[in-house]
Amino acid sequence: MIEISRLAKKFKIENPKKLSEQEKQDPRLSGKFFKSVEDVSLSCAAGEVLGLLGPNGAGKTTTLRMLSTALKPEAGSITINGVDVLKNPVVARQKIGFLSGATGLYGRLTGRENIAYFGQLHQMTKTQIDDRIAELADLLDLHSFLDRRCENFSTGMKQKTAIARAVVHKPEVVILDEPTTGLDIMASQTVLNFIRGLKSQGVPVIFSTHHLDEVAELCDRVTVINHGRTQFNDDIAAFRALAPGSLNSAFLAALEQGV
Amino acid sequence: MWLVFLKEIKELLRDRKTLFFMIALPILVFPAIFGVVTYVSSKAIQKAESEILDYAIVGAEYAPDLVARIAESEEFNLVTAPQNTDIKQWVKEENADFVLVIPENFSNDVLANGQISLTLYLNDSGLNLVQRRLNEIVDAIEEENQQSAFSTLGLNETQQVALIDPVLVEKVNVADQRENWGEKIGGFIPYLVFMLCLQGAMIPATDLGAGEKERGTLETLLISPIARHKLVLGKFMAIALAGVTSAMVTVGSMAIWGIVLSQGMAIELVADFMGSISGMDFLLIFFMLIPVVAIFASVLLSLSIYARSFKEAQGYMTPLVMFTIVPVIMAMLPGVELKGGWAWVPLTNVALAIKELIKGTMDYVQLIAIFGSTALIAGALIAFSVYWFNQEKVLFR
Repeated sequence: MIEISRLAKKFKIENPKKLSEQEKQDPRLSGKFFKSVEDVSLSCAAGEVLGLLGPNGAGKTTTLRMLSTALKPEAGSITINGVDVLKNPVVARQKIGFLSGATGLYGRLTGRENIAYFGQLHQMTKTQIDDRIAELADLLDLHSFLDRRCENFSTGMKQKTAIARAVVHKPEVVILDEPTTGLDIMASQTVLNFIRGLKSQGVPVIFSTHHLDEVAELCDRVTVINHGRTQFNDDIAAFRALAPGSLNSAFLAALEQGV
Repeated sequence: MWLVFLKEIKELLRDRKTLFFMIALPILVFPAIFGVVTYVSSKAIQKAESEILDYAIVGAEYAPDLVARIAESEEFNLVTAPQNTDIKQWVKEENADFVLVIPENFSNDVLANGQISLTLYLNDSGLNLVQRRLNEIVDAIEEENQQSAFSTLGLNETQQVALIDPVLVEKVNVADQRENWGEKIGGFIPYLVFMLCLQGAMIPATDLGAGEKERGTLETLLISPIARHKLVLGKFMAIALAGVTSAMVTVGSMAIWGIVLSQGMAIELVADFMGSISGMDFLLIFFMLIPVVAIFASVLLSLSIYARSFKEAQGYMTPLVMFTIVPVIMAMLPGVELKGGWAWVPLTNVALAIKELIKGTMDYVQLIAIFGSTALIAGALIAFSVYWFNQEKVLFR
């Protein structure tokens, strides 16, 4: 169970004069600060998949980064299965499997070494790591390239390895920032199947995406963020009900709700 | 911490480019440079030695003896200068290697005619042996003339010697061989080692900080359940090790190839000099380097993690080299000694201490103070790296 309530985060702008006219139009700009996230709340229970939607620059990545403990929020609270993430970031990190949007791998290590390194950082034993890698290799179809150096991997191979790395320690919750962006159909299907697998194990999954068909296929809940604020936060049925017939229209309707 | 360290080292070892610059380059390039320089210069000397020099003489009739001796030599070849020509211009146009002008008053009787001056026209800008070869002949005549003058005057041998050099200054150097050479090369060694450490640490430092950001691995690493200071220390140690290894490999390679190539030449001198420095002093030199390398590694890591990309990191590191060169060059300047204010200038004091250790004139109590203050700076900089690694504005720029 993940609960985020009234999260806020602002960034200091080093040189406000350098901003373009368009950037100055953003309502989140106030003085020397840019309020990337102003008020975001969402929750995702065990066995649920939550789709995080929003236009580019809406604050999705910042929200997920705060959830993953990489950034510290100014206000609000995050709890994962009862653990306060902000008070116990190190404990929380063991519970979270996080795939960042622009994630990369260590090119000079093999896929297996990349995954194992993070297993070791999670203080797993060698046998645990080996077993887990074997298991993940089956799930994510990694066998053909697991022992090659990552520098020559295709985008799909990289993303699948990165996902395996993110969940090597069997996290209690999984957060994926645009996991299917840039992938071909087969690779994204593998990723979606993997999410479905997590769901069947009762692991809550939050993932951000721009593909509404993925939302339709997988999600139990939908949260729409715009200009750093939650515009919609309910189950998929309520989301569909916003504009019957088309998820695209539903999404646009959700954006308009808040205006 | 060791986990991070080992992984970074593993990655560095797999990076052929870094390895090439750190190890292969110093091992192969130094002997290659030595070899080429030695070969070219020995060729040039050989050519100059075997060359037959063209010459012309003006006023040959005044010194038939001298002219005959020059003509006898197989190293010279007589050419005739045209009458009434500008000698300077003629030599400049490479019509002859030199022209010797003998004055009218040339005579072998020193007592009657006094000092004779011959004028030698030559292009002295390049390597040539004109003067040396000519001096061999002129010196012989000089000595004969001296002897005949001495016998005319009836001087005994003691008087002859005294007349040639009436007052002699005899130098007694109280500095032993070690101090003597230590003063000459002792300033250069810390300069070399410091720069090599810095250069050697630079490529891995770029990779470990800015590289993580550029490849997008940093965020994942930051949210792994490892305390931030362990992460920083692991990276820091990998950079420091790379710096030290690179410096040691280079210095070692220079020492070995220097000995191999200078075989027979100054080898005994080098061996004596090295032998006079005790193992303890070598160990102390190495100890003094530890806080210095720590300073370099922590500064490099801080710069690297602040940068958004490799390119930016390299941009920050280039001025660092200049900043480091200044205090080390200070230690090489004559007159700068480990006294007063200089003992408190960071890096300069370590460079001076290393010089003193090489010379064998180190005050060991002072060494503790220098080590302590440098270690303190290093500790503060490492603490800063850890603080820096906790700043969102640094990590997510």
